[in-house]
Parts: sequence; structure tokens; C-alpha cells
Amino acid sequence: MAATFASKCSRVGRSLWGGLGNNLSGLLSASHETACNHFLSQQQRTFIQMRTVLKVVDNSGAKKVMCIQALKGKKGARLGDTIIASVKEAYPNGKVKKGKVVYGVVVRAAMQRGRCDGSEVKFDDNAVVLVDKQGQPIGTRVFGPVPHELRQKKHVKILSLAGHIA
Amino acid sequence: MALSTSRTLLRSFASLSPFARCSNSTSYGDSLWSSEPRAIFKGGSYFLAQRKLSSTSVLSLGSIEALLQEWKLGFPSLSRALYCSTADFKKNELLELQEVEKVLSDVRADNVKVIPVQKHCAWADFMVIATGRSTWHVKNIAQALIYKVKQKQKGAQRLMLPSVEGQEGGKWIVIDSGKVVVHALDEKARDYYSLESLWTTGTSEKEPIQDLEKALVKIRRKNNSKKQAKKSA
Repeated sequence: MAATFASKCSRVGRSLWGGLGNNLSGLLSASHETACNHFLSQQQRTFIQMRTVLKVVDNSGAKKVMCIQALKGKKGARLGDTIIASVKEAYPNGKVKKGKVVYGVVVRAAMQRGRCDGSEVKFDDNAVVLVDKQGQPIGTRVFGPVPHELRQKKHVKILSLAGHIA
Repeated sequence: MALSTSRTLLRSFASLSPFARCSNSTSYGDSLWSSEPRAIFKGGSYFLAQRKLSSTSVLSLGSIEALLQEWKLGFPSLSRALYCSTADFKKNELLELQEVEKVLSDVRADNVKVIPVQKHCAWADFMVIATGRSTWHVKNIAQALIYKVKQKQKGAQRLMLPSVEGQEGGKWIVIDSGKVVVHALDEKARDYYSLESLWTTGTSEKEPIQDLEKALVKIRRKNNSKKQAKKSA
């Protein structure tokens, strides 16, 4: 599907690791103000729920995890929430192996998250940082941008390991 | 795949800025009543964003210049923020660097290192790393810092405490008080995470990114071939 609009809209349109893609039910996210007014290229992003595949952005050894439970929230996890996930793909010598059940903190989500000043932040993919039950990160470095929301959610450890803060 | 963020409103990136926020109760079980939390993000030259954070750590305030700057920009929603900030303005910051150093030397924490991260960290000015000899010692360092903050705010109506993470397992405790972030680790955790190498090389990491911008400029290749160029008639 090629969006014939500006490149900005085509980037909004398609994403490989989205949540569950278009959700045509009445599940609308928090804010309805979007800058892009081309309704044909807008995609309805939703929460991170069971069976969502997320990318792992630390050096713990895993590559892809699949969410099996969102710890807080009836509909699913959002940016900054913790999830329980199962490792689906891993590097051969890493700290976690395939099939392990781990906890993770969502650091990038395709669904927009409202900030207190009225703006929203959303990313192109869903990414997670693996932690243990006490909230200690398993890896030692975090790659890619992470949002400020982690500070509010008491994930300052992940912020301090990250290189770039959005 | 390029990772990118898109926003509806512009947001300023502050190179160094203290935020002002009010905290909720900490993990010590103190039942605190927090005032309505808000923050002022002192931005660059063009934009200021106002933040309202529900449960965060308390941070320091902007200066008078920041307030004047906000007035000049005519940001309408700042009036509410300004009210709270002028009220907070007379209070001190939560934890200052000298106080932190003094407390850490009192508790006899090992290997205290202070890293100024103003240049490559927008959300904190100083990172303090301290090592504890055991998990109990690490927890004690955290408790000593909280006690110091409580002492500072004796007699105030509402206590504003910094946020503490990792209190249950005593391996890595982070105390976030705005400008100053204190990490209390034990030796194994310190070797494992190696936070100093992360932040001291931060400045050197920034420079290659700037060169990348120049590298993306298209430059016409030099044609050093000996072949004669075909001349179209």
C-alpha cells in the first residue's frame, strides 16, 4: 500500500512491529489531536497486549520477545509500563535464552502517549528493556531513544543506561 | 529501520535545566500530601513546555530569568505554573552536591565519584556514584540521604522527598532529586554496569554524530580516471 501523500504521512501509515494494527472498534486512545489530517494514511495504534512482539533494545542477549501479560491496565500496556514476556529470539551467547519468561519495561511504543503539556509522543516501533522482578535491568546498555516518561514511572535506572533521551 | 518520534507540538530540548516538580509518597511509607505537581521546563530560545507530573521526584526551580523568559514568550498556560513556581521559589533545592558529598562521607561510602553530565544529559546535572560494602550498607546510604532531606525540610507543611528506586533489593538504589542523581551500588553491580564509562565517554560520543551530519552532504566525486570522457556531440 503506497501512500501517495507526503513522506511524513507514509511514515505514519505503516509500521512493521505495530501493536495489533488497525483496531476498528471503538477503542480510541487518549488524545485525538493529530497534526496529520490525511485520514487515509492514519493508522489506529493500540496497546501492547498478549501476543505482541516487541524488540529488545538492550544487550541482555534477547532479540525479540512476545508479551504474555501486561501487568497494569485492563486493555494493555503503554509506554513506560512493565510487561511479562517470553523470549522468542535470542543471540547465541547472551544472558537470556530463548523460551525464558522475563519482565520488561516498554521504552518505545507505537501508540501515542500524552504528556502533561498536551503534546504526544509516539515511536515507530515497540521496544522493551528486560528487567528482573525487582526492576533491575538485565542488560548494561540501552540503545535507541527513550522517552522522559520513564522518570515519572520510576525507571531512572533505564534512563541512566540510555544514550539518547527523547 | 529508522527510529523516529513524531509530536504534535514542538518541545524544547534543554541542554541543562532544573525542573520543578512535587513528589508523592516514597517507598518509606510516609503518607505525604503532595501539592499539585507541575514543572517548568526551561527551554532553549524558542519554546517552553509546561509539565504536570503526578508522582515524581522533587527538583529545583527555574531562575527568575526563566520566569521572565516565559512571560515574554506569552505562553498562556504558564500562568498557573508560575503561581506554583513562585511559591516554590523560596524553598531550597532538594539535595545539593555539597550536602550529598558530606552525607556520603559520613556514611563512609567507598569510591564516591561525581560526574558532571550537564552537557550530554538534559535531565540531570550531576551524577554521583557511591559503592556500599554490603546490601545493608547500600540501603543505609539511601536512608541517610533521605534523612538529610527530611532534616532540611523540618517544620514545613508538606514534605517533598526524592524518589528512591531499588530499595527492596539492595543492589542498586537510585535517588533522584532533580539536578543531582545519586546511585548507590555494591561492588559487583558497579563492575557490571560500569556507569562511569557510560557517562564519561558521553562527550566523545556526541562528536561523531556531528560529523555524520557533514557526511550526509552529497559531494561530487573526483574523477581520477585516465579514460577520456565521452563527449556527446
